[in-house]
Amino acid sequence: MTYETLEVQAEGPVGWLVFNRPEAGNAVDARMFVELEAAWAELEADTGVRAIVNTGNGRSFQTGLDVGQLANDPEALRASSRQTRDFALRMTSWHCGVTKPVIAAVNGTCAGGGLHFVADADIVIAADDATFLDPHVSVGQVSAFETIGLLKKVPMESVTRMALMGAHERLGAERARQLGLVSEVVAAGELRDRARTLALRLAEHDPERLRAVKQTLWTALEAP
Amino acid sequence: MSYEHLIVERHGPVGWLINDRPEVRNAMNSAMRDEFAEAWTELDNDPAVRVIVHTGNGRDFQTGVDVGEVASDGVGMERYRQSMEDFDVHFTSWHQGVWKPVITAVNGICCGGGFHWVADSDIVIAASDAQFFDPHTSVGQVVAIEAIGLMKKMPVEAVMRMAFLGRHERVGAERAYELGMISEIVDPPERLRERGQELGEIVARNSPAAMAATKKALWGALETGLTDACKQGARHLVSMWGHPDQAEGPLAFAERRDPDWQSL
Repeated sequence: MTYETLEVQAEGPVGWLVFNRPEAGNAVDARMFVELEAAWAELEADTGVRAIVNTGNGRSFQTGLDVGQLANDPEALRASSRQTRDFALRMTSWHCGVTKPVIAAVNGTCAGGGLHFVADADIVIAADDATFLDPHVSVGQVSAFETIGLLKKVPMESVTRMALMGAHERLGAERARQLGLVSEVVAAGELRDRARTLALRLAEHDPERLRAVKQTLWTALEAP
Repeated sequence: MSYEHLIVERHGPVGWLINDRPEVRNAMNSAMRDEFAEAWTELDNDPAVRVIVHTGNGRDFQTGVDVGEVASDGVGMERYRQSMEDFDVHFTSWHQGVWKPVITAVNGICCGGGFHWVADSDIVIAASDAQFFDPHTSVGQVVAIEAIGLMKKMPVEAVMRMAFLGRHERVGAERAYELGMISEIVDPPERLRERGQELGEIVARNSPAAMAATKKALWGALETGLTDACKQGARHLVSMWGHPDQAEGPLAFAERRDPDWQSL
């Protein structure tokens, strides 16, 4: 598939899925909505890829659905609405059933729906200028899937606070590290190098073992 | 309604619920327990109140049940035991199904049953001199409900340690912040209420209906596994579709003005 909104490539055993709409804060438009599913499937199917890094071009990591653009594309809007209503989204590695390890490398702003990709990754690192916020309630929207994913993984108060403060407060990279939302904060210019190093280390492990561990641990989140 | 052991105030969009038995460190007697049920419902039903802040008068936030009073008034202990056995309790916002945002502002000591209100609120801030501990096991009592609530929300080891070390160890505000039990330390402590009001006014700028649906999705997620929680969350998310706030939010943003939200 030829991608317009993503950069997808294999670099040795490291697969890269890079959001590439920097002029729009990497927001998910109708095209990216379709390309994400294809990209995860391609990297999952590529037997040479042992670990996947997900990051963004430009100043933002990911800022969620591009509601304005989707509103101009009724068919895409209907599709995204249906997938939301039925919780049948196909945006993240978790939605798409990716069995390989996924590292999210958060550059810059991660807002609203961007938190999906943090909640659904196995390892999350961030640039020192990364910020996290959830503006849904400030524009009359409900925050659900991405914050539910987060509250299963980090202290809940930090998640309810983020959801209810909306656009009016950002969580910084260092606090995100303290809370365990991310495990490592690096200088912005070193983010991709560090993500690559981690991915190469994962690639040394037996892929079947990693697959089994990933499946076991994520299944544990399904218990009440 | 007038209250003997609580103070209910309104400052702009922020409703305040203040524990007011400072002479006994705001311990909860039978009458205060009944008043909590009333006060949460009163603030929840008031459309002018968009956010609720809960704190304590005097040196301490809350120190659990006033065991002496409950044991000696003839009916209190039996009634208390029965309500706990049935888990038919009504003294926190969670017990009362309050879907407005609730901010707990912890002043001084929060111990034992005081954790109910830390576990059951959405945002928790604390004065820099706040201290947390759970003395139940030191006085031959079992701690269950409030510790279970905390375990769902923060690192479990810290909760078990407090439960087992009882009154012999206290957790300070700094450690509570590190653990993610609270999200902000207010220093100096005297600024706690000022900061509570500020935070309340910030939260009050968001859509009341969207926040209520968000709370239902997030608190509901504690009851079930990840995928089921998302499926139930979808119902709350979809419940906002077609609500006037969904048009008003983007419009106000485009027009660079504050949104005019519908009241709950």
